[in-house]
Amino acid sequence: MRVSRWTTAIYLGPAVLVMAAACLYPVLTAFQLAGFKWEMGTPWDSAQWVGLDNFAAAFGNEQVWSSLWTTLLFAGVCVAAEMVLGIALALALEHPVRGMAIFRTIFILPMMIAPIAVGLAWRYMFDAQFGLINAVLGLFNIKAMTWLADPTLAFVAIVIADIWQWTPFVFIMMLAALASVDGAVMEAARIDGANWWQQIFLVKLPMVMHVIAITLMMRLIDAFRVLEVVYVLTFGGPGNSTEILALHIYKTAFVGQQMGVAAAVSVLLLVVVAGLSWAALRLSNPMKDDA
Amino acid sequence: MTLDRRTLIKNASITVFGAGLPFSGAIAQNRYAKYAGKSVTINIPAHPHYDAMSKLLPEFTKETGIKVEVDKLAIGRLKEKQLLEMSKPQGDYDLACYIVMWKGEYVSKNLVQPLEPFFANAALADPAYDMKDIIPIYLENLGLVGGPKGYLAGPGAKLYGLPYGAETSVLAYRRDVFAKLNLKVPETYDDFSKALRVLKDQSGMGALSSRGQAGHQCVHAWLLHLNPLGGGVFDAQWKPRFNDKAGVAALKFLQDVVATGPAGIPGFGQGEANTAFLQGQAAMYLDSTSLAGVVNDPARSKVVGNVSWAMHPMGTKRASQSGGLGLTIPKNAKNPEAGFLLMQWLTSKEQDKAVTRLGGAPMRNSTMTNVDLVRQYPEFVVFKEALKYSNPDWRPIIPVWDRINVQALGVGISDALTGKKSAEDALNGMVPQVTQIMREAGYKI
Repeated sequence: MRVSRWTTAIYLGPAVLVMAAACLYPVLTAFQLAGFKWEMGTPWDSAQWVGLDNFAAAFGNEQVWSSLWTTLLFAGVCVAAEMVLGIALALALEHPVRGMAIFRTIFILPMMIAPIAVGLAWRYMFDAQFGLINAVLGLFNIKAMTWLADPTLAFVAIVIADIWQWTPFVFIMMLAALASVDGAVMEAARIDGANWWQQIFLVKLPMVMHVIAITLMMRLIDAFRVLEVVYVLTFGGPGNSTEILALHIYKTAFVGQQMGVAAAVSVLLLVVVAGLSWAALRLSNPMKDDA
Repeated sequence: MTLDRRTLIKNASITVFGAGLPFSGAIAQNRYAKYAGKSVTINIPAHPHYDAMSKLLPEFTKETGIKVEVDKLAIGRLKEKQLLEMSKPQGDYDLACYIVMWKGEYVSKNLVQPLEPFFANAALADPAYDMKDIIPIYLENLGLVGGPKGYLAGPGAKLYGLPYGAETSVLAYRRDVFAKLNLKVPETYDDFSKALRVLKDQSGMGALSSRGQAGHQCVHAWLLHLNPLGGGVFDAQWKPRFNDKAGVAALKFLQDVVATGPAGIPGFGQGEANTAFLQGQAAMYLDSTSLAGVVNDPARSKVVGNVSWAMHPMGTKRASQSGGLGLTIPKNAKNPEAGFLLMQWLTSKEQDKAVTRLGGAPMRNSTMTNVDLVRQYPEFVVFKEALKYSNPDWRPIIPVWDRINVQALGVGISDALTGKKSAEDALNGMVPQVTQIMREAGYKI
């Protein structure tokens, strides 16, 4: 059946407009803001056009590059751990077991909690004096650690908090994907003599690779934007050992009042995330077949 | 003729307040009538003083007919929300609580209103308000903008806010621990240094609780020692001097505090520092007077009845902190007059006593000397003495201070506290960045 161009436009138009308003406009505004020197609380009329000065200031600031490195490390460690744990949990819990509904609900609870609350809860748990983590370590005669007062341990702390909160997302995505795997294919693999490992790694996971790729991409994007948990847990410290790029942007914008420079760093973040997303989609692009 | 700071504040107070004097009686009684039924929105932080204040608000509504809506936020998120609200043509806040460090920035951006026109308006001003009774150092530190250096009392200074939740620094110590170790309460920084070691080695707890988290918190802790040790952030020409001998001495002292204090100080915000002392993990606490409201509350403190108070130890000079919170009226307030009435009511003699009874921080001399309240809080005698030495130039409250505080000094000092850098390297390393920020802000240095 021939579909008129107008029909396509009418059906897609509203979605395109909403996407443009909700997504494209803020991005374009960030690019615009990156060209001006402007402080929040002053009239926009007073903003001065500075061309590429904000980009020069941003890229010439070694704290930006150190934050970018911290972010890459944070995202790499967190997302890798979340993917492995999430997939493993989904594989373990994909078959009907008694009480499974309760387990599944418990496992996805962390991602439903507001990030600020997650940050506060972990701040108390990592407390050197009264924290749960040190209390548990004490049961095994392990000396109490000053989690948030040591650069390395503070980084470990933000990683643990992120893994705790976002592994459930990977778990739920993978659980849905595994449920869609055709039982007949798995049956055929078994008949052909594939052992458990072969069934998982050579049959099952390749069949859900497009979901793995999308999940990986979504987690990477989120890991680069994480702010509240780190803000509450460490405020980027000690020193700037946990100052991820989103927190650096926040401080530059709202503490330093350099909105233009903050927008320029945001553009850098956008480029990095876009590059990584592209790489994740190269792994397996679910939209490729429709093209 | 040269006027000293106190004379200037006194004269300004009389001028501002004098305008309201001829009016009393019927006008005073009807002050609220015009606004009865209206709503005032006040933006406050989650803070013990404002928790106490919230309990007074139903009484305000009962007395005046003005309803109060409270927008309470985490103190770290207060400024960004206020800047957003105050940037709109008409904002949602009629009254806002600010931290002392923001006053210069808010005024320079024309976001808040001077208070003199309100106090000069006989239809609004309470003749019994008695501005002179407000603790002068609090009024200067929290309220005045535009004078010498941009934030001190003197020619050009105007009142933009009133202290509410203001504080100075005092030393709280464990009377029982000091008695057991036969230890003298430190009066000087030499005594203080020695006490840190003795307490660490012999008390079985940390010596001094302190803030130390990266950013504002560790800078606040360093400033507590910088002033008494004779240091400052800038010299008279606004050139950084924080890396001089006094600055290094203050940072080395803070490193000692970390080494001898409860574990984890480089991660402590104000909450953790308070908790460590209240839960018996430290023998001393040198910080805000606001701790007094909770130290004898059995629900929050394990050291009830064991805490005494002393002056901030003396270094090369006697000095104590000036800082804390104040109230201001945004330029774009919907109901600025009603906001003023609430501010005036909260900071009145009667309500200052009421909030203090509930654990809040007093801002009036008459409250600090009230017999019943001194019986409830004997430490007020020490606090009043400490206020004599409270330094209004404790920190440079210029519009770019927040950036210097959090993004420059707050990183370097934190690095020194974790041992990543020596005190000298940390401070010297921050000079170029701070100089650059000052130049960008228009200071010719």
